[in-house]
Amino acid sequence: MNVISRGYLVPLLLGLPFLFVVNPISANVFVQCPGDIDGDAVIDTPDPNHPHAKCMHLSGGDGFITMADGKEMYIFGFADVTGLTPGEAMITALLSANMPSPAIVLNEGDEFYLTLTNVGMVLRPDLFDAHTIHWHGFPQAAPVFDGVPDASLAIKMGASFTYYYKVNDPGTFMYHCHVEATEHMQMGMLGNLYVKPAQNGTPFTYQGKTYTQFAYNDGDGSTGYDVDFAIQMGSFDPEFHDASEAVQPLPFAHMKDTYPMLNGRGYPDTIISTALPAPSKNGGKVSQKQSSLITANQGKRILLRLSNLNVTEFYTLASLGIPMQIVGKDAKLLRGPDGKNLYYQTNSVTLGSGESVDIIFDTQNVTPGQYFLYTTNLNYLSNNTEDFGGMMTEIVIN
Amino acid sequence: MQSNYVTQKLSMLFLIIGLGWAMNTLAAISGITGSSFNLTAKKDYISTPDGNSIPMWGYANGTGLMQYPGPTLIVNQGDTITIILKNELPQPVSIVFPGQTGVTATGGIAGLITREAAAVSAPVADRTVTYTFTATHAGTYLYHSGTRPELQIEMGLLGALIVRPTGFNASNPTAYNHPHTAYNYEYLFLLTEIDPNIHELVEFNQLNNVDNTAYFPAYWMLNGRAAPDTLLAENNQLLPHQPYNCLPRMHPGDKLLMRVIGGGRDLHPFHHHGNHALVIAKQGRLLESTPGAGPDLATSVFTIPSVPGETVDAIFEWNGADLGWDIYGHQPGDPLEAGEYAPDHGKPIPVILPEGQNLAFWWFLERQSIFRK
Ligand SMILES: [Cu+2]
Repeated sequence: MNVISRGYLVPLLLGLPFLFVVNPISANVFVQCPGDIDGDAVIDTPDPNHPHAKCMHLSGGDGFITMADGKEMYIFGFADVTGLTPGEAMITALLSANMPSPAIVLNEGDEFYLTLTNVGMVLRPDLFDAHTIHWHGFPQAAPVFDGVPDASLAIKMGASFTYYYKVNDPGTFMYHCHVEATEHMQMGMLGNLYVKPAQNGTPFTYQGKTYTQFAYNDGDGSTGYDVDFAIQMGSFDPEFHDASEAVQPLPFAHMKDTYPMLNGRGYPDTIISTALPAPSKNGGKVSQKQSSLITANQGKRILLRLSNLNVTEFYTLASLGIPMQIVGKDAKLLRGPDGKNLYYQTNSVTLGSGESVDIIFDTQNVTPGQYFLYTTNLNYLSNNTEDFGGMMTEIVIN
Repeated sequence: MQSNYVTQKLSMLFLIIGLGWAMNTLAAISGITGSSFNLTAKKDYISTPDGNSIPMWGYANGTGLMQYPGPTLIVNQGDTITIILKNELPQPVSIVFPGQTGVTATGGIAGLITREAAAVSAPVADRTVTYTFTATHAGTYLYHSGTRPELQIEMGLLGALIVRPTGFNASNPTAYNHPHTAYNYEYLFLLTEIDPNIHELVEFNQLNNVDNTAYFPAYWMLNGRAAPDTLLAENNQLLPHQPYNCLPRMHPGDKLLMRVIGGGRDLHPFHHHGNHALVIAKQGRLLESTPGAGPDLATSVFTIPSVPGETVDAIFEWNGADLGWDIYGHQPGDPLEAGEYAPDHGKPIPVILPEGQNLAFWWFLERQSIFRK
């Protein structure tokens, strides 16, 4: 069996810095991507046997983000190292975890080769944690690519695992690391993942307007949209993160999230349309790239792919002034087994962790201005001890 | 490059799937069947995987052992159900049946919500109460104490009630009286949580010190066991008071009925890996637009938000369809098993798996003291 004994743990610890610094081009970084010649997960010469291949290279490691009250928070997370050679990827990825993790955007019909390289925790050389990717909700999942370490494979530091997904189903999913899930998910290994339907590109006229982009293969254009956004609800417990950074025992049973977020940021950072400035503690790496601001011109239909991925809470998100029409739930078009339309109008949705909905905002009769999307779990309109903030963002209609 | 280690590991997984083929006898949820039941409320202890022992109050089947949860009562739609409850606890207890109507209670003593079986110190005649109702609707239900429910349900006085539909045929079962609710296997997922402090206070007779504002669960259970005990066999002799396990097994192509019950006081987003499940009923009522339509309002989900007191019936299917490779591990010449997805037959896995030295098996590493955090 694969046992690391105390006997060579110490030399392993001492050797760890050299693994990355002295010899960064590790033979164990191994990207698999049909048509990619140099191992950067970019297709150089399309492979005729895999015309729909799509590749991505994610690193798993640690890093920092800046909370809306200014606190720099230690996290675990993924970073996108697609386009980098294996050697470059290994160096670039150190301490560069993102929150949320890089969005994975796919098309129905893709053959998705997703390489995960575990670059280790720079601030926690005592940890030898493996990582995985769990595509939450993948239909007909195969255990080997499902990322549950007790039923599958988890990749250790300095090595790569390529996941293979034949992408057959459109919808709003999510992904996360499943190793010691309570810890690695609280620490931030969470991301948006959605699949665009095969119907995209085929024009459908719905309620007098023609659309070529849809949430699902609806057959009638009723999920058609002009602009789309993906937002993940989540939250962090600062004491847990601080304990992790300080190599202290982790307060699992006492976990209490006090930083509610939309795409890894609390209000008012949520309405910044760009990446947030890099924190100082990770060496100046931009780690919060996904905005949670929604903007559209009046009259446009907005698709919001909303998911909740956190360890502790159910969250309700409410819309003030623009009704929500729910057209999808858990990556399925909201229709009954015989096709009965089950779309519904509401002003709020409540999601537990690991649930998603697809929301259409029709701005046909909406006066231009700012509209708020906010949690009605009102104590979460805060950034830890800072009273006003948290899980809130704006829909700006121009 | 694919190492023997990985191959062995995958073989083990296939072996586990393969074992499922031999488990046909476990197609139905375990419990006690009939129309007349004798339950006894008594105290005893359950075990948790961390080696703790928690004092509980629970329903026993007749003179049997206290069990957590109480016996799963499996009855037939249309039958008149009689439950005689005897009490051996220091407090009055009772049973209520959410979702059932016309429940009559006789004997025992008067109580706030229903008639109760008096405490063990009371005269023998007062310590027995009888409940009767007609099981008018098929479905999945909860039963629990109606006496000081904020304390007694936490203490363990709850269980599942399953009503088989009229005309139920065990060899071709349906959850409700409609063919679109057919299944091959059924499993119970009774979700509860336990705050051990409350149990300790009750054990030391400090009921007045129980403070629900300080409720702080530290154990989370499926059918009365926490993982990994859920994976042990039913009626394991090491867990005499927790007879039920939770280890769903099925063949590719089979339909697995999940009966999910929120038995505690917290909400739980209950995620099943592998595939979506079709939610066909809630609270023992088919999600149908008109009576007899079948579950035409059913939706497919990958996470069931389990709400306290709510029951959900969902049908899960998996056959590994269209993965692009042969998940069953067949070579091109191997025969196909029933229910397997044929078009990927014999296709190799499309990527090279890492070598064993680069793979972690956390449950093993976690047991090395050096890795404990
Ligand atoms: Cu991880």
